[in-house]
Amino acid sequence: MANVSFTNVRKSFGDFTALESLDLEIHDGEFVALLGPSGCGKSTTLRMLAGLEFPTSGDISIGGRVVNDLAPGKRDIAMVFQSYALYPHMTVGENIAYPLKKRGLKKPERDEAVRRAAELLQLEPLLNRKPKQLSGGQQQRVALGRALVREPRVFLLDEPLSNLDAKLRSYMRAELIELHRRLGKTMVYVTHDQLEAMTMADRIVVMHGGRVQQFDTPDAVYNRPANRFVAGFIGTPPMNQIEGTVQGATFVVNSHRQPIKREAFAASLVDGPAVMGVRPEFVGIHDSGDGLPATVRLAENTGHETIVTLELPDGARIMSRVEAGRKLSVGQPVILRFDPAGIHLFEATENGARLNLDIPVAATLSQSA
Amino acid sequence: MKSKMLRPLILNLVTWSLVLLISFPLLWMIVTSLKPQTELFRIPPTWVPETVTFEHYWRLLTETPFLTFFRNSVVLATSTTIFVVGLGTLGAYSLVRFRFRGRETLAMLVLFTYLLPSVVLIIPLYLMMVNLGISNTLFSLILAHTTFALPYALWLLRSFMEGIPDDLENAALVDGASRLGAFKDVIFPQLLPGIISTALFTFILSWNEYLYALVLVNSESVAPLTTGVMTMLISAFNIEWSLLMAASVMMSVPLIVVFAFLQSYLTSGFGAGGVKG
Ligand SMILES: Nc1ncnc2c1ncn2[C@@H]1O[C@H](COP(=O)(O)OP(=O)(O)O)[C@@H](O)[C@H]1O
Ligand SMILES: [Mg+2]
Repeated sequence: MANVSFTNVRKSFGDFTALESLDLEIHDGEFVALLGPSGCGKSTTLRMLAGLEFPTSGDISIGGRVVNDLAPGKRDIAMVFQSYALYPHMTVGENIAYPLKKRGLKKPERDEAVRRAAELLQLEPLLNRKPKQLSGGQQQRVALGRALVREPRVFLLDEPLSNLDAKLRSYMRAELIELHRRLGKTMVYVTHDQLEAMTMADRIVVMHGGRVQQFDTPDAVYNRPANRFVAGFIGTPPMNQIEGTVQGATFVVNSHRQPIKREAFAASLVDGPAVMGVRPEFVGIHDSGDGLPATVRLAENTGHETIVTLELPDGARIMSRVEAGRKLSVGQPVILRFDPAGIHLFEATENGARLNLDIPVAATLSQSA
Repeated sequence: MKSKMLRPLILNLVTWSLVLLISFPLLWMIVTSLKPQTELFRIPPTWVPETVTFEHYWRLLTETPFLTFFRNSVVLATSTTIFVVGLGTLGAYSLVRFRFRGRETLAMLVLFTYLLPSVVLIIPLYLMMVNLGISNTLFSLILAHTTFALPYALWLLRSFMEGIPDDLENAALVDGASRLGAFKDVIFPQLLPGIISTALFTFILSWNEYLYALVLVNSESVAPLTTGVMTMLISAFNIEWSLLMAASVMMSVPLIVVFAFLQSYLTSGFGAGGVKG
């Protein structure tokens, strides 16, 4: 068993608190992505798990055993660094064999393990080369090979794909998913790229400002964001957030009255200021009728859809996602109508919590781990 | 068109006159050391010796303590280099890798001692050696050379060390190496060019050093080449030019050999020193 848990972990660098009160429970064999903007504490979290940084307080355990005082080499983990950190003076073969050598394996056993890893990652023709003589993608695979040759209990990956070009990145995403399926090992994967997190992870830890904002499945993070930060971070373009006022069974914005079902929201939703969240795909653009008047500012046709930027009379911007080829001209006045199925309400505070009561049916999707 | 032809010509002329100017004393030293006494002060001077003789070299090796001085210099420069590189590597490693209070201040302080003129330190150092009861020994000179070579070596090694990514060491730690193991397997091989160039600087510094040797050591049996040869051949009444030139040639040989083989490390050291201040 190699479940990983963080219990009330805090980390400060001098006066600066990088992480406050981190609680995570990662299951055995799970692929978990740590996702968040740069500087939110993802790498620090991973490095504490690796033993390269020490928590200021709190406990970290692997497989039920607290590892706070265990040296990195004794934690039975492997790590892939963003820079790959290949040993420049060793050949590819020596790089991959290094962790085995440090564990006292004999040469024939090492060679056999290196051969297997090289076969898995198609590195056989490169074994005698130095890292400098490899392309970025090849170096990346060597770093993976060095990590998996030892069959550790937990894999840690810190933005492993961020130095690759877009095409190679999508190829390696598929490779990593396949690798995880095949090895069945616990993987903790740091990324600032939501596409990577959404496509690869069983569950995503969305982090911001040294705090976990939400820890849930990609589906839940997308469809039921815990707060305004998650809503505004996940999705390209992210969820629209429109400030307005709750009045009885309506949400009022610029004299437009959007009907809402009060019983679908938590009791803490009271009349007064609130924020309505709507994903762009739930923003319909119409020529006339009831709705919120707006002006077209930009229409970007990507070929399979059109992303439309709209401006409200008060200057606020709203994004809409409509079918490709929809004819819209800049400056054209339109009427927006929101699909009631896609309406979220948040507290009006800066990172207000979401107030929807979610229908239990959706929960069946969320427990894939 | 004309200026295009002229430019390289002038540049070449200037460069070669500079080279000649700088190398003339060296050439004259060699020429003089090979001339017999009779030809030495002839006017006009002979540019190429009429008769080439090795008698001065022979006399130096057989009739004077030159070889003792030479041995002392080798021991002195080698030991100093080992001390300085050893301490400098450890110091640079902790200055770069460990975060502790006053780290930057400490580094600046070290550089500051390097800026102090050595004459300021020499008397206190001499008194300390006397108190320790090791004055007038080769060991005291090794210690003295270490104190003045270490600050620069530390800075040189620090800038080399800063060029080695942290993650390389972290990777080794995760892969199961101890800190010492990670240093040996990963840091040291990366640092080797830096260590070699620092060793070269230190060796040359110690080999050529005169002032400390003059003050701290005064018996023939422990004097290095610089002071030994000088006091032996230069007196108030007479300078043994032929012997002095022969000795100078032989003193330069080790440096020239070292330089010829390790030139590229030396120049990379000059570069590294300028990377960060
Ligand atoms: N060794 C350190 N000393 C001081 N501050 C640090 C150190 N490591 C990280 N930080 C700070 O902690 C915060 C989180 O860093 P990090 O975990 O690297 O973020 P990221 O999510 O981009 O990986 C950043 O603001 C960073 O500046
Ligand atoms: Mg990071």
